[in-house]
Amino acid sequence: MLKTEELQINIGPQHPSTHGVFRMLVTVDGETLVDLKPVFGYLHRNHEQLGEVNTYLQNMPFTDRLDYFNSMVNNHAYARAVETLAGVEVPERAQYIRVIMDELSRILNHATAMGFMLGDMGAWQTALLWGMREREKILDMFEYVSGARMMCNYCRFGGVVRDIDDWFITELKKLMQGLPHYFDDFEGLLLNSEILLARARNIGVLPKELALAYSVTGPVLRGSGVAYDIRKAEPYAVYDRFKFKVPVGTVGDVYDRFLVRIAEMRESYKILEQAIEQLPDATGGFINPKVKQQSLKAPAGEAYARVESPKGELGFYLVSDGSGSAYRYKVRAPSFINLSSLADMCKGYSIADVVVILGSIDIVMGEVDR
Amino acid sequence: MTLSHLATEDVFVVERNDADFRAGQGMTKGLGIVFRKFRKALFGKPNSDRADTEGQFNVQYPEERLVLPEAYRNMPILLYDDATGHELCTSCFQCERICPPQVIHITQAKDPATGKPVPAAANFVLEYDTCMSCGYCAEVCPFDAIKMDHDFELSTGNHPELDVNYDRLLRPISYYEAIAPTMWSDVKEQAMKKLQNNIKRRPGAIGRDHGQKVKGGAAVAVAATPVAGAAPAAAAKPRGPVAAIGKNMPEEKVAKLISIRAANAAKRGGGDAGAAPVAEAAPIVETVVDTPAASAAPSGPVAAIGQNMSEDKRAKLEAIRAAKRAQRGE
Repeated sequence: MLKTEELQINIGPQHPSTHGVFRMLVTVDGETLVDLKPVFGYLHRNHEQLGEVNTYLQNMPFTDRLDYFNSMVNNHAYARAVETLAGVEVPERAQYIRVIMDELSRILNHATAMGFMLGDMGAWQTALLWGMREREKILDMFEYVSGARMMCNYCRFGGVVRDIDDWFITELKKLMQGLPHYFDDFEGLLLNSEILLARARNIGVLPKELALAYSVTGPVLRGSGVAYDIRKAEPYAVYDRFKFKVPVGTVGDVYDRFLVRIAEMRESYKILEQAIEQLPDATGGFINPKVKQQSLKAPAGEAYARVESPKGELGFYLVSDGSGSAYRYKVRAPSFINLSSLADMCKGYSIADVVVILGSIDIVMGEVDR
Repeated sequence: MTLSHLATEDVFVVERNDADFRAGQGMTKGLGIVFRKFRKALFGKPNSDRADTEGQFNVQYPEERLVLPEAYRNMPILLYDDATGHELCTSCFQCERICPPQVIHITQAKDPATGKPVPAAANFVLEYDTCMSCGYCAEVCPFDAIKMDHDFELSTGNHPELDVNYDRLLRPISYYEAIAPTMWSDVKEQAMKKLQNNIKRRPGAIGRDHGQKVKGGAAVAVAATPVAGAAPAAAAKPRGPVAAIGKNMPEEKVAKLISIRAANAAKRGGGDAGAAPVAEAAPIVETVVDTPAASAAPSGPVAAIGQNMSEDKRAKLEAIRAAKRAQRGE
């Protein structure tokens, strides 16, 4: 019997498939992975401490930089936390606008995240660029309403900064004509592709119990078969008015996470359809005019607000001492917590599967490191 | 073990493909779709309609540009009145206070006779390199003096140039009106009213003594109001050596480079700086003095399209923009 030795390898931090500056210290026995230690912090930029120095409003553009794919969702979650803390009411139209933006974000996030994962597998560019094309159309619309494609800074306390107009609605309807074609093409291209099945089926299995133990959320948790979605479990904004379903997987492998994300895009599409239909007219206003945005002071106390971000539960925890800025500010970032389950997901699989499994978690380092 | 608070009708299980034996039918189908897309991309029409998922979507960037929406924000600029040359900024410090990365630095102007503060800024420095383009300064400005520019081609090899001073921040109102017509018309009336009030309280050339303004009776000379503790205007700083012309370069390339540099120097107005070394052989080290006259010069509403663009390109761009506007129903 040949004596074999375990070998330690660094994957990253400068590696294209680590989705940012992320390092994995892996121990392999031959091709098989024995141990994995995630190393991060390369992108740390003191976000939470800054949030305690900044005033409430000043911190809003910094939340854009957490999960920079879904700045609209980050803004929504942060605005909700401050609104809960300060007891601010949000007009109905603003709630609907926020929901529209969130669901558009979800579509663009899943489209690109799955594209990146498939790129890691070797489906180089095609699937990714189709996702990018749809994302581009959505980003154009974000740019129109908020002024920026990615760093939207769109929400304000008690509403949004700018109302959506007829142009936006017409373009949104046009976009929605195209989206089902994209979903069909994407599924047709890859859903039953033999290569995808070989690389994704029964790879990176995260059992239900383990997923719950790691408090994993979002598509990763649902892929493991737990039907948990904050939009249903604790409906915020106006999510209780829409009819949609929560897709869940059965095995909890990479393939299930992939399927759950595609199904979620279709569900988001349904929510968008209903939101456009129900969108109240502009009489109620799109922002609460009573709120003093710049000099907002919250009464002493604490608040935690969470939303279902495309990556999982995104929560903001704020403690106020009655002054104009938070006494304590904490972000519960879904990427970070989902990433903690990586080692257990990877053990026992081949080293080539690690990048695929990492891609299926869908992390953004801006959010992991903060 | 399931979390039971979701009703069963709200949940569905995604359909897995668990077939073990496959003969490549999934891949064949995928390739069929790719081939269809490929054909459409080759022979299809270029399109920009949001409903399309097939065809060509490319924009040939420097020649073709997408229309930027009015709300687009890149870097802050300061406005002045075309007719009088008066700057709208009154140095109220609202933007300096709200700025999340704290990159705005304002010095208030003072009446040299009495030493009392005047509603105008003596200097206004903005660190473009640290600005996060959040747009709060434009949002909070009660005088509509600071607005977000649409020009995003700001790359430079010279980092200190990105600390932009008052002279280089100024743009005429007509420029802003051209890039954001409805947003300006919403605030125009009150902004002009407030400006008229402020002009009354500005003695001498204070409030219109920055930069080289295109129209109106603006004083060109920088009157450098002596204010205690104020940083001197960042003008007249040497821009450092421009890359020397290589020794191994062919003759004609050297000649071409020299002529380009001479033309650039002439355009900047500081003719002698660049023109002198033309006769000398390589290496040429060019030192450019960054005078306000050279670098400020906001060139009116066309600037949004780009100063160095050829005529036909500009016409084409205008046509594209008009079509977009029509499409949007403006």
